[in-house]
Amino acid sequence: MNNFLFFLTLIAMGYVVGTLVEKRHYRSIHEREKKFLYLPAVTMKTVNHPDQKVMSAELVCGSAVISIDYFKRLLASLRNIFGGTVKSYESLIDRARREALIRMKEMAGDATVIVNVRIETSTIGRNANKKGVGCLEAMAYGTALTLEK
Amino acid sequence: MKYTPRQPGSNVNVTPTSPLREFFLLTAGLLGMVIVIYMVLGLAVDLIVPRISTDLENKMGGLFVGSIAAKDSDSKRGTHVRSLLEDLQDRCAQLPYLFKVHICQSPTMNAAALPGGHIIVYTGLLDKVASENELAFVLAHEMGHFAHRDHLRGMGRAFVFITISTLLLGTDSSISKMLANGLNLTEMSFSRKQETRADEFALETLYCDYGHVGGATDFFKKISKAEDPGTFGHYFASHPESRQRISHLENIIRSRKFKLGKRKPLPETWRQLKD
Amino acid sequence: MIITNIETVPGKTIVEHFGLVSGSTIRAKHVGRDLMAGLKNLVGGELKGYTQLLHESRQQALERMIEQARQLGANAVVNVRFSTSSVAQGAAELYAYGTAVHVK
Repeated sequence: MNNFLFFLTLIAMGYVVGTLVEKRHYRSIHEREKKFLYLPAVTMKTVNHPDQKVMSAELVCGSAVISIDYFKRLLASLRNIFGGTVKSYESLIDRARREALIRMKEMAGDATVIVNVRIETSTIGRNANKKGVGCLEAMAYGTALTLEK
Repeated sequence: MKYTPRQPGSNVNVTPTSPLREFFLLTAGLLGMVIVIYMVLGLAVDLIVPRISTDLENKMGGLFVGSIAAKDSDSKRGTHVRSLLEDLQDRCAQLPYLFKVHICQSPTMNAAALPGGHIIVYTGLLDKVASENELAFVLAHEMGHFAHRDHLRGMGRAFVFITISTLLLGTDSSISKMLANGLNLTEMSFSRKQETRADEFALETLYCDYGHVGGATDFFKKISKAEDPGTFGHYFASHPESRQRISHLENIIRSRKFKLGKRKPLPETWRQLKD
Repeated sequence: MIITNIETVPGKTIVEHFGLVSGSTIRAKHVGRDLMAGLKNLVGGELKGYTQLLHESRQQALERMIEQARQLGANAVVNVRFSTSSVAQGAAELYAYGTAVHVK
């Protein structure tokens, strides 16, 4: 009985605190995305006119490791029985990738454009090979070009 | 190439959903599935258990006995208990079992029934019984469990359930653990009905053997003093509160007009028989 | 919406671009599929259930990416890349990303 109550407390805590943390993170992501709107990240290899001079080119990358709260994990294992879209994990992946992109842009600084952007995802943490996911790591990398205006 | 900075209106990658609603829906679905399987299993077990012969059960019982027989002790009082049991069985409770009584050193005031006709009596109980009738009631109660094949039913369901959940979800799944815990709760409440039926069987046997039912409720009166399950304990105690059992038995005594007579005392050397 | 895997849309010129767009989805299989797959493990062959699952995931991921591109006002997505990973036990996560452009 004690175990069950403890379990319920963990779930409640996971839900409440997890939702707060997620909202706060999303707000921060929105702000920073707006800030970096001037700096595009593209998957193409060339965006500049052949006449434009490239002042500098460097590899930039950004990564983020996001973990998920207990409530969402429980939802995912329940969902595993019935199948369908695991909605609770969608926000996890979304946050991780957008965070990684933002950090990549932060590293780029005052470049004009980041080309050939690639995004890699992997699961790390103790539970990566067994049930559930420990944490998700998203990494974005590309070449930051500073073009002559 | 021209770049137009724009931001998408909505986040396409996250479906706006209420996680609580999803949680309740999924849990309800899971519970529904569990209840259906439970009921089906209940039917299946009810069909199969009466067909398990005592031979098969004795073989199964062999698995349990090894660890217990090793702790067998207190042979002097044990002999008396065994002869009492034989009397009861020969005269009144004809069951197709060869009962084996094991005495276990423990301050627990209790007795238990295991598959194969094994009855464990704890020395805590032997120390506290005041009359032969009381002891006979306890023994007849355990025999009642065998008569109704109670131990097989409870085990069978739980076993199949856990097997299914392990197959589907894997041993580490938190859901499997939750199901196992939940099962323990339900199996215990299931066995409360069984306990009450065993009480009734014991009452009948006592009446048949002694001609009266004096001493039937003595045992429960003793435990009810020691017991206090607290607010949650009602559901979780596998032995229903002694007060309820006492009143249930007294109801039957009244309705069937059983007589209460003098209790037959234990052998004089009972207290000194402990070894 | 035109989607290509190369830098350009052949036969058209890219006029402006809007940056990175992406679509992701994560889908779980249910126990029925798992059982069939387990049985298939004995005899070998294609796991149609899982192929179906991943195919649906891919469709959904692409749709989401196109939706995001449309919201930015693009009419083509170039240089699309896919990435798959296993994020949760028994669930497949599919990610498609590319550059949203306007072609003429």
